[in-house]
Order: sequence, then C-alpha cells, then structure tokens
Amino acid sequence: MEPEPNNTGSGSGNPKEEATLKVPSKDPKKKDDKKDEDLSEEDVALKQQLELYVERVQDVDQGLQKVALESMRNLAGEIAQEYAKRVNEEAAVKDLIELVEQIVAFHMKHNAEPEAVDLLMEVEFLDLLVKHVDSTNYKRTCLYLTSSARYLPGPDDMSVLDIAYTIYTKFEEFPSALQIALYLHNMQHWMFVWQHVKQVFTSCPDLLRKKQFCYILARQGLSFELDEEMCADDEDREALQEIINNTKLSEGYLTLARDIEVMEPKSPEDIYKAHLLDGRASAGASVDSARQNLAATFVNAFVNAGFGQDKLMTVPSEASSGGSSGNWLFKNKEHGKASAAASLGMIHIWDVDAGLAQIDKYFHSNDNHVIAGALLGVGVVNCGIKNDCDPALALLADYLDKEDSSIRIGAITGLGLAYAGTQNEQVGISFPLHCIRDKLTPILGDPKAPLDVIAFTAIALGLVYVGSCNEDVAQAIIFALMDRSESDLGEPLTRLLPLGLGLLYLGKQDSVEATAEVSKTFNEKIRKYCDMTLLSCAYAGTGNVLKVQHFLGQCAQHLEKGETFQGPAVLGIAMVAMAEELGLDMAIRSLEHLLQYGEQNIRKAVPLALGLLCISNPKVHVMDTLSRLSHDADTEVAMAAVISLGLIGAGTNNARIAGMLRNLSSYYYKEASLLFCVRIAQGFVHMGKGLLTLAPYHSERFLLSPTALAGLVVLLHACLDMKAIILGKYHYVLYFVVLAMQPRMLLTVDENLKPLSVAVRVGQAVDVVGQAGRPKTITGFQTHSTPVLLAAGDRAELATEKYIPLSPILEGFVILKENPDYREEA
Amino acid sequence: MPTVSVKWQKELYPAVEIDTTQPPYVFKCQLYDLTGVPPERQKIVMKGGLLKDDSDWSKLGVKEGQKLMMMGTADEIVKAPEKGPVFMEDLPEEEQVVAVGHSAGLFNLGNTCYMNSTMQCLHSVPELKSSLIEYPQAGRSNDLDQSSHLLTVATRDLFNELDKNVKPVAPMQFWMVLRKKYPQFGQLHNGSFMQQDAEECWTQILYTLSQALRSPSSSQNTDTVKALFGIDLVSRVHCAESGEESLETESVYSLKCHISHEVNHLHEGLKHGLKSELEKASPSLGRSAVYLKDSHINGLPKYLTIQFVRFFWKRESNQKAKILRKVDYPLELDVFDLCSDDLRKQLEAPRQMLRDEDGRKAGLKLKEKSSASVDNDVKMSDAENGSGESSKATSGEGVVSDKKTQLTGVYDLVAVLTHKGRSADSGHYVAWVKQENGKWIQFDDDNPIPQREEDITKLSGGGDWHMAYICMYKARTVAM
Repeated sequence: MEPEPNNTGSGSGNPKEEATLKVPSKDPKKKDDKKDEDLSEEDVALKQQLELYVERVQDVDQGLQKVALESMRNLAGEIAQEYAKRVNEEAAVKDLIELVEQIVAFHMKHNAEPEAVDLLMEVEFLDLLVKHVDSTNYKRTCLYLTSSARYLPGPDDMSVLDIAYTIYTKFEEFPSALQIALYLHNMQHWMFVWQHVKQVFTSCPDLLRKKQFCYILARQGLSFELDEEMCADDEDREALQEIINNTKLSEGYLTLARDIEVMEPKSPEDIYKAHLLDGRASAGASVDSARQNLAATFVNAFVNAGFGQDKLMTVPSEASSGGSSGNWLFKNKEHGKASAAASLGMIHIWDVDAGLAQIDKYFHSNDNHVIAGALLGVGVVNCGIKNDCDPALALLADYLDKEDSSIRIGAITGLGLAYAGTQNEQVGISFPLHCIRDKLTPILGDPKAPLDVIAFTAIALGLVYVGSCNEDVAQAIIFALMDRSESDLGEPLTRLLPLGLGLLYLGKQDSVEATAEVSKTFNEKIRKYCDMTLLSCAYAGTGNVLKVQHFLGQCAQHLEKGETFQGPAVLGIAMVAMAEELGLDMAIRSLEHLLQYGEQNIRKAVPLALGLLCISNPKVHVMDTLSRLSHDADTEVAMAAVISLGLIGAGTNNARIAGMLRNLSSYYYKEASLLFCVRIAQGFVHMGKGLLTLAPYHSERFLLSPTALAGLVVLLHACLDMKAIILGKYHYVLYFVVLAMQPRMLLTVDENLKPLSVAVRVGQAVDVVGQAGRPKTITGFQTHSTPVLLAAGDRAELATEKYIPLSPILEGFVILKENPDYREEA
Repeated sequence: MPTVSVKWQKELYPAVEIDTTQPPYVFKCQLYDLTGVPPERQKIVMKGGLLKDDSDWSKLGVKEGQKLMMMGTADEIVKAPEKGPVFMEDLPEEEQVVAVGHSAGLFNLGNTCYMNSTMQCLHSVPELKSSLIEYPQAGRSNDLDQSSHLLTVATRDLFNELDKNVKPVAPMQFWMVLRKKYPQFGQLHNGSFMQQDAEECWTQILYTLSQALRSPSSSQNTDTVKALFGIDLVSRVHCAESGEESLETESVYSLKCHISHEVNHLHEGLKHGLKSELEKASPSLGRSAVYLKDSHINGLPKYLTIQFVRFFWKRESNQKAKILRKVDYPLELDVFDLCSDDLRKQLEAPRQMLRDEDGRKAGLKLKEKSSASVDNDVKMSDAENGSGESSKATSGEGVVSDKKTQLTGVYDLVAVLTHKGRSADSGHYVAWVKQENGKWIQFDDDNPIPQREEDITKLSGGGDWHMAYICMYKARTVAM
C-alpha cells in the first residue's frame, strides 16, 4: 500500500484541504528516515496522527472529513509495514494492535469494510472483526472475506472463511454460513465440516429454514444422516432427510419441463437435423451401422435424460408385444447393447421407482451385455439419489463376483455411480457403506481379474470415496498398481488406476503428499503419469497458481516416445485453474500457447482442458478456438475438439454450437469415428433438451460439487485415449457425466414444498464485492415467472416483495416465505 | 406377525402382514396377489440386501411398519430377435459398396487425373462393364495387337476393382498398360509425367475397346462400343460455286459442341458443330472450292457423348488454350431437330409414346382426385402396369424382352467430365457421375464427394471453376 497515490483523489482547490493534504504525504518520508532509530517515538507520532484524523473526520466540514479518510488509509498502510517489520524483529506489537483496533472501528462505521479487512489481514488479527460488525455491514464484510479467500495462500484462507462463518452465524444468516461450511469441505477434513453443519442445524430453530439447508446440502451432492440433535421430531427429520436424499429432484425437474413445454420426447434425428444440410448427408444407408446406432443410443439417452420417455427405448412398453424396444436394443452390437440397456437408466435418471421398473426386465435377459447394461443403468438411475432401501446396493452386490467381466464391470461401475461421494466417516452412520469397500477392494487384489475389471473398480472406489483421503482404499489401489505386469502398464485402461487413486484426494491439497511419495516408487512407465494425476486431482478447484505453473513446466519438456504424462498435466491446468474467473481466463490464454508450441500429445489434451474450463458455458472465443481445432489435420485433436464443443455447450441448446456440429457431421460423414464424436457432442449440447448443466460449480460459482468434478475428470481422462476407450468397447464411460448433470433451474416452492410461481428477474450477475451502498446485483435482466432456466453467469432476484426467499442465492430449490410486512398496493 | 408397507413402482401397499413362520416365498405369493408379478420375478429389497426365498424371517429382523421395496414387472422378458440386424461394419467390403451408395475413388499416380476421371465416367456405363466381363482373358484374336488386348483386360480388372472396394483403388496396372499402348501418355516433363488431355485419353480408350470388343471370336459379330456410343452421321456436302452435291455417311463416337460468340447453349453449339466448311478439289471446276458440309444424325447411340471444344491450339504460347465461355447444358437433352428426316420418322412413334406416358403420369394424378368410374380405374391400373414394365425394360440392361426398346431422341445426363485450369495439359480433371440410386458423386481422384443435382448444371463454365469438357447422356427409351 503506497501512501502517495491515494492522495491524488482529493485535489479540489480548498486551501484548508491542501494544508492537511501535505501532512500525510510528507510525514511518512520523514518517518522512514527515523524509523531505524526510534520506534516508540514513532508510535507516539502515529497515535497523535490518528487522533488528529479521527477528530477531523468528525468535523462538520465535509471537505475536511474526506481528507481525513484518505489519510486514514495511508496510516493503515504504514501500520501494516511497521507490523511486518516488528514481527521480523520479534518486537512487541501490542501498541500497534491498539491503533489497529481504533482504525478498524472507524472504517467499519464508515462503509470502508474492505479497508478494515485488509488491515486486519495484514496484521493477522482477523478475530477482531467479529467485534466490529453490525447488522448493517456484516453482509458486505462477509462478501469481501469470502471472495478474497480465493486469492489467499495456505492456511490464511481457512481462517478468513472461519471468520466469515462466525459472523454469519452471529447474525443468524445460516444459509450463507452453511455454504461456507460446505466450501470448507473441499479442503478440510470431514469431521470439521460435519461439526459446522451440525452447528448450523442446531442453532437454527426454524424447521422451514432447515428444509432450505437440506436443499443446499442436496445440491452439493453430499449424503448426510441427520441425528436427533439436529432435528428432534422424528417426522420432521424424515421430511428433512427426504430432501437431502434428493428424492424430489425428478419431480421438480419435470415441473420445470412441463412449464417450458418440452415434455415431448425427441428422437436422434430431431437433433441431427440432417434436412438442413445440403446433399452431403450420407446416401440413405439401407444397412445399419453399429457405430451410428450406438451414437443414436447415446444421443437419445442424453437428450431425453430424466424425462422418462423417449422414442427408442421406452416407447413400446405400452405396445402389445414388447417388440420394438427390444428391437432398438438389439440394433446395437455386442457391448453396444450394454450402453443401450443402460440408457434406460439415463432416461429415468433420479426417478428410482419408475427407472428400476423399466430396467427390471433386462435382468432376465440371457445376453451378458444386456445384463451388464441393466446393472449400469441401475447405478445411473440412482446417481445422486439415496433411497432408504438401498436398492442399488441390493441389486448390484450379487453380480460383483460373476464370471463374465462385462457383467462385473457393469455392477462395479453401477455401484460407483450410485454411491459416489457417499463415504464420509460420519459418527454413528447406519449406512452399510463399509460393505461397498469390503466388496470392491478384494477385486483389486484378485490376481485373476482382468485389467478392465480392476481399472473400473479403482474408478468406482475413487468415486465412492471421493475426497475422503481414505487410506485403506488408497493402499488397495496402490497395491493393484504395483501388481500390474509390464505389459499391463502399457494398456490404455491402466490410466484409470492412478485416476481412481487421485479421486480419493480430490481437492485435498497437501493430504496427497504421502501417497505421492509412494507413487514415486512405481514402475517408471507409469510413475510420471501417476504423479501428474495425483497432483492435478489434489489441487483441483483450488486456483493454486504455483501448481498451474508446475504443470505448464511439465508441458514444456520434450518427451521421448511413449511417455504420456503430459495429457493429465494439461488437464491438471484446467482442473486447478477452473476455481475462479481470473485464473480461468489466464489458463485459457496459456493453453493457447501450448497449442502453438506443444507436441501432439499435448495438443490433443488442450481441447479437453478448454472443455473443462468452460463446461456448460459456451464462451465465444473458446468456441472459435475449438471450432478451428475440430478441423485439425490430426484426428485425435479433432476428436477431442469435437467432444469439447459438446462439453462447453452441454445442456444449453446453443444454436451456434449446434450449427457448427451439424456442419461437422457433413464434413466428417465418411469418417465413422469422428462422426461418432460429432453425434455424441450433439447429444451433449441438447442434453435434457437444454434444461441441464454439467458445471460442477454452483451457488453463484461459489461451491464445487466434488462428485460432479470427479465424473467429468473420469470422462476427460478416458478421452485422452479416445480410440481405445470411447471408440473401443468402453464407451459407457460416457455415462459418467451423469454425476455432473443437474437441472439449471430456479424452482420456488411454498412452505409445503409445492411449486409456487412468482415473478423473478434474471440477468447477468454483477460483481459487487467491495462496493459501497446497495449496488445492483444483476444487469440486463428480464422478468420471468418461476420455474425458470438460469444460464451460466446468470443470477436471479425476486421481483416481488410478497415473499422472502430463505436462501440468499436463488438457484435450484428455494423455499419462499410470505412477507409479513407486505401490503398489497391498492 | 409384523405388518410392513411395500412400495412397488409408484404404488404403496400399506399394511401387508408377514407370516414369519412361513418361508419368504409365501410372502412373495401374497405380493403376487396384490401386484400380479410372479414370485420368481419379484425382487424384494430390504435394508441391507435382497430377500431370498430361503432366508429366515427371524434373522432378518423385520420391524413393525418397516418399508420394503419390491421390484419386478410382469412384462415380457426381452428376447433377442431371431435374426439380428446386419451391421455395415461386419459386411465384406464389396457389400459395403451397396451401403455407401457409390463406388470407389482412384488414386492419382502423378498427374493422372485425366485418366481417373475418364475411367470413372466410362465406369458408369453398365453395358460396357457387362461386355467387358465376357471378354476372354486368354483368347486374343489375330487382328488385335497384344497391347490392346492387355489394355482391355486391364480395363476390365479396373472396373472390377472399383465395384468391389469402398476404399480408393490405385490403377497401377491400367496406367502401365495404357502408357505402353499409347506412349504419348508417358511423356515426361521435369522428371514427372505430364498432364494430358482427357478427351484424347477418352477417345483412345474407346477406340481400343471398340477394336477389342469387336473380335470375331465372340458369338455376335457386332461392335459393342459402336452400338453403345457410335453416332451415325449423314452429311450433305454442297458446293455453292458449282452446285455439286453429294451425300456422305460416317460414324463418330462423340458430337462436338463448337463454342463461338453466338453459342450460349449446348444445343446451339451442337448445331454449329454439325455444319462445317471445307475446301476440296472440285472435279467439275477443276480446282479446289469451298464446300459446305451439313450433317444430320442418322443413327442414335445408347450413350451420347458430347465434347465441348474448349481447347484450341494457340500458336504463340504453343499450347492448347481454353475458351472459358459459359455454355449451358441441360439435364435432359432432346436431339430430335439434329436428326435426319429418316431418323425423325423412326422416332415419331416412340416419342409419341413417351409423351403419352408422361401425360398419363400427370393425368393419373388428376384422375385420382376426381373419383373416376370403375372402368377408368381398370384402365388406369393397366396403364400403371404398362409403365411399370416399360421402366423395368429400360432399366434391364441389354436384356432381350418381348417388347423391343426404342430410342426416343431424349437423353438424360449421366456423367460430366470437367476441367479446371487454363489449358488442356494443365489444371485438374474431375468426373461427376450419376449413380444408380440417382445420387451424383464427384470423383475427385481418390475422394468421392456427394453432390446435388442442381449443382451439376452449374459446371457450365464462365469462370475458373470446374467446367464441363465432356458430357455423357444416356438415352431414354420406351418399350414398343
């Protein structure tokens, strides 16, 4: 904080002002000279100055007040310098703190919260803040605290957030407090967060507000078991638990769909829109192409996700002879049938009852691929939903030890999807989760199990235990990695093992170090790859600039043939930098450089990294870059770019991307594998007919859902070797996106949790951090009535005073309470 | 006896009693009564696992009011259809051709696009293909030299390859034989083969084929190539000075479309091409005089080849320069007014039939709307049958049907060979060929690209885009 520039602000020609102006600008220089000689004398000077300023600020003369405020800022800067110096010399700082306290008190009273927070952060005495906030300024203070936390290093961000949490609870702003608690979850140990969440629940007496908390927890994708302390009444607790278990998600989603009138099922042809293309469309093929049918299966699943009806798989269930559903299923070849059967799960996603009823009949098939698909479908349908009876576990457990490896993979992956993120060592948990571990870890050690089974087991464990740092699971995966033979290590699927390991530490930063050390002892074929994967997962969503630089450094190396670790390094840049907007833009620019100077194995990962950075957020310049890359001479780069075009437009129905993909489909009509990618991307763009998002960040980009990120990362790692995995027989990894799928809606409900339509304004969110007064939070808004769709970067606010929302952030489910003070305007 | 609630799909059955002394199978039968799902299809999910038929209630610890979930449907189990679908990926390559809808491309072996495009155009003539297949491998008649024989065999093999493959074919063998037979195509320039005039290639190949396929060894002693492509011309040569007049007949393989300043359309160009002036010794005048030659078509081929005379020898630059003038050509060409009077008479009847047929097709629609009498209906169905047969007859290649097919003088465009560039020996040749399924494919060497029909007529010149150099029309016939 330089003192000089601050003075320039008040240059209007009052002689009195000029006189005072000179004092601060000259004095510091004098003092700088003296500093070394006499410290205490300087304190006295400081104190005197402060008193002078305080006096002046209270002066009736407006001009004088303003100048005093300016000077106060200078003083704060000097104190910070002085503090740093004294800490270095280990001198006493008590007198300084007294000064600080006075300044902070002054700042807080005069709408200068950011200055107060800055000063306190400099002198490392944030606790002081709690004393000085009041009901008028706590919101601005906390906003500044939380948004500055992203840019703070190491443990500082924790303490800043902790203070914000304390302030929020002090003023009973529980939803915000809860959000901070959840934010801490991404870095902290589970128990710590659990206590915070519990504290929020116990300190809030209002049942309705507790329900809102449950909605927030459900959106984060955390499974929680409420205990009696949190809600004494059994019935209420059951109601709350039901919200956390997400059982009503499907209902809310369908309410939105009905309101927007998109219930009508869509066929893949409706998406391809081949009639808009000139003669290029491939000559009316009379023979089925297995690859194109598989693509149609996926497109159908993504587009009709969650609607419970489609035009390929579910249609004939009412028709007499159950004929043509089977027909479409059998229009897929071998492993394609697995994806087709599993697509039923996607079509009924979140609706466990209806979904299981539809899938049930496929369990009795005599085709192993169909059974495998049904098992996977059970997992997909249960994704993010918890049911009291745990049907997924009950159904899948029996198939884990079957002979056929495709059935095993189906069951394992199904479990991984259904129970992703459910592992948390919550006290007294009655959930039979330990049994998932008991069932899956032995498979890792099974010497007879084929590599693909082991790889998917590692991923499933990684998903279930995402971010848990669970040592037993980590051990099991490490041993499995060590047991691999030299030839196994060269297989493309082996890359899933380190990834499974990495997911255990997702976002947990330093906690990964011990495991990273162990990974250094691995076979050199996989050592570097493992190292990159672990690091990128551990620092995912932290915005840690040093790690981004580390990854960039790795990409600068020139590799011997056969090394592949630069792929995860490039993805790592995106995973780390996606945390906040500034870092994100920087990462996009750095990736542009990699494109120009990087070698093939880097270039093919860059589009995927771009896809992750802008997921479900079609930024025009990224779109242009990807469009250019989609015509790249290198097929793998082109395929990655095409898939990423789908990812950045996922669930948006973006017309521009849709047009690009349509043209690509005619451009690549002869190249089956690229055409497949184009189709998948088209499916992504129209996912859920445009009602869904894949963005793992939610609640105004504040919270990161670890399971969503994990799902995306698995998909992207699989895309690093498109030929072997997605174009091979493991195309069902595409279903991992289900973890990230969420309706991008605002659904307001009344006190009985029934949908309630109110007017809301939806517009581009404005950054109001550090702004005084009550600035507008959205710009260019339109007024809609709920339920309403929210695009990336949109924010909603109520357009009526009649209701009070129970959550400050209007996203997902929001409970509205009638405003008791509201008077109808006559 | 505890009572539990059972959830099945969206329904909830509260208060189902469990008789804990009986095995779970009995409980399942209870549920069968409620839901209609047979016990063996039921899956009952309790906390912690599935209810098995042999499990013991006492160990499961069912509590009063516990919620169970039942899964299962009475739906039919999906069975694989007896005959699974056939996938394109599984087909052998020759069958994939059918699915792709067009034949393979040809690799460019170094400035051989003139040859590739010529072969692609000729390849689209099924009659030529079928007569080549009959061509004997070994038996070479004495009046045919060895290189012509080899070229014919190579052509046959190349056509076969094109039909069998989806991926582009390298016409190595053919290229070598062609160079051997016609050494001019083997000219080198700066160490690589030179670009050649496609028209020359076309003419030479057709000439060779006509020699080879005429061979007396084959049963019918006719010239297949001539039957397919030959155009009989009758010309009246008239000398204005002396008043001498004589009739000449000749047979050519292509009509020339002369391009001058007045020519904007193919038809005009053809008319120009059929009139020419020549100087020759006049016996009556005893010196050379100017004769006017006025030709008419006296015999129509099945495939009418038209060459746009776009190139002329430019002495100053010592190369074949190109006329870029735009000359439109139609998808459907009628050459009736270029025919001689004799031929016109012959054509009258088939043309009338063709008109009638068209009229019937148009009229049929009208009548369908106005509900016609029964008699009419019968006639109509007759008419339909008739037209169906005739179309069958026209599509049947060379099949001798009881009705004889007759030419009508109306032709449909089936192939265009275009040139892009400023002189015949440079630039790029491309073939645009109509496939049997009616789609147009642009064969740009090894890269076949589907095109729209309306874009084909845009190749008429007037710029630096591909422009038609040789057009091939197929006769529209009627059965008599």
